[in-house]
Amino acid sequence: MDEMAPVLVVVMNNLRDMEIARREGWYRIPVKRAPSRLGAEYLAFYQTKVFGPEGLAINYYAPVKAYRLARREELLPEEPDHPRAKEWYYKIEIGPLEKLPRPIPSRRLRRITFIPTTLGRLLRAQEINDLWIGGEAEESLWELFRENGLPAERRFLIQGEEEKEIDFAFFCRKGKLAVMCDEEPLLSGLVRERAAAQDYELAALGWVPLHLDPELVMKSPAEALGKVLEALEKLGGCTPEEEPWNYDDTGQF
Amino acid sequence: MRLGFPVKILGHPGLRPYDSRRWHNSPHLTVSLAYLRDIILYLERKRIRFYRLASELAPYIAHPDFPAFHHQIEECAHELEEVGKMARERGIRFSFHPSYINLTSLHQEVVEHSLQQIIALTRILEAMNLGLEAVVVIHAGGAYGDKASALSRLCRVLENLPHEVRLRLSLENDDLLFSVNDLLWVHARTGVPITFDHLHFLNHSDGMEEQEALKLCLETWPESIIPKVHFSSPRTAMKLSDDGGKRRAYPPQPSEHADFVNPFEFISFCRMALMTCRRDFDIMLEAKARDLALLELRGNLRKFAPELEVE
Repeated sequence: MDEMAPVLVVVMNNLRDMEIARREGWYRIPVKRAPSRLGAEYLAFYQTKVFGPEGLAINYYAPVKAYRLARREELLPEEPDHPRAKEWYYKIEIGPLEKLPRPIPSRRLRRITFIPTTLGRLLRAQEINDLWIGGEAEESLWELFRENGLPAERRFLIQGEEEKEIDFAFFCRKGKLAVMCDEEPLLSGLVRERAAAQDYELAALGWVPLHLDPELVMKSPAEALGKVLEALEKLGGCTPEEEPWNYDDTGQF
Repeated sequence: MRLGFPVKILGHPGLRPYDSRRWHNSPHLTVSLAYLRDIILYLERKRIRFYRLASELAPYIAHPDFPAFHHQIEECAHELEEVGKMARERGIRFSFHPSYINLTSLHQEVVEHSLQQIIALTRILEAMNLGLEAVVVIHAGGAYGDKASALSRLCRVLENLPHEVRLRLSLENDDLLFSVNDLLWVHARTGVPITFDHLHFLNHSDGMEEQEALKLCLETWPESIIPKVHFSSPRTAMKLSDDGGKRRAYPPQPSEHADFVNPFEFISFCRMALMTCRRDFDIMLEAKARDLALLELRGNLRKFAPELEVE
């Protein structure tokens, strides 16, 4: 087994598409909405709540055989009047679905889109947040949070004027904390301005931004953790995990 | 002048240059093209407009034992065209540099296999609808104790290549056998342009001055095509290896590529080229740190030679 084989986790949000994957061996992604990392040796399927007991978890994966380009009307000829009938899609041809040794659940109701990961991580993950691959500091922070029982949500999507992804989200009694590990160096004044603008926007959306210097995380993890704990305390501590946040299960490709 | 790097991406974990699965796991050109699409987006983010494609992009495409893989280019015409369009829209130049090519071999089957490889790579570039600046760069092959005969064999093989294949072919000087001088002889007979390699030249100059060699190589390229040049610095770092549990240190060979590019060596080379040559050219950096080396060099050029118009 190639531990590093690239895997793309995709969303399965209706029963028909699951049947297509199982019986016909393909899955589709609109070209316009494809993630920046599309290529993979395996697809894994995050099933939404419509799948009942199997929902809100990844249960199956399949080897990728080919990526084809096709219009939606060719893929789903029974829907010729669909508004996106003429649009181009990646038709990802796959082999037989295999069941994971154990389901990978999402601890919290949240929006999931695409997660690029590896086969090793997929087979070992305890929950969705274990799948993301971050930089060195982000990975260290995630380990710290896990070891200290802090219920962070990784790569959380926030809908503002533009969709934003924050490294770690915490949901607290008195607000929401956005922890960002600034691994991309701030090269210029323009980039710094952009980061500041993002903080204002996050604040307007009810988030408290907390930036952590990657060097601090790597050299003094206890100090970095202390900053997060202090921010969480100011926000009244974390809420129970079962409370839904920003959940949208209606999107259909 | 565009700076490029070869194949592997080190600056973004998870980006693969081709579908590397073995034959029994059914690798496929379209999977490689999905990886390439991701790489193009990465190149765009980093403003890199020159990239060497993996020769294994179409897995087993010319492997004599696996004919089932031989029709991938026709089967993936649409997908190839779309990836080519993505590259063209972003002004990205592609090239190939296949290893294990030997057109001077004394064994006909070796030459035949090399030709099949070159033809397949040319067809990929054509299927992508890329201009003639997308080239396949090769080394000449072996000398087998008689360099003059080897060069004559090479000329015969090149003259018999299909026109469309010859149009995209370029020969590179190597560090041991075939010098710029030798390849100029081949160019005079076949018209195949020469990709000048700086480090190989330093190791095997054959009595030429670098500025003269570079100028003559650039002149072998058609006017309508921007020539390409290979550049890398010689490794100077100590090499460590484990010999039966004992760590031993070795000095580097002067022909070995360094991890990064010596910015001062690069700046001197560019200034020399500006003074000597009238033609613009693109530079493929053959540093071991790949894209990281390119980004580092770019930063150094901003600092030490902002006058050089390098992308």
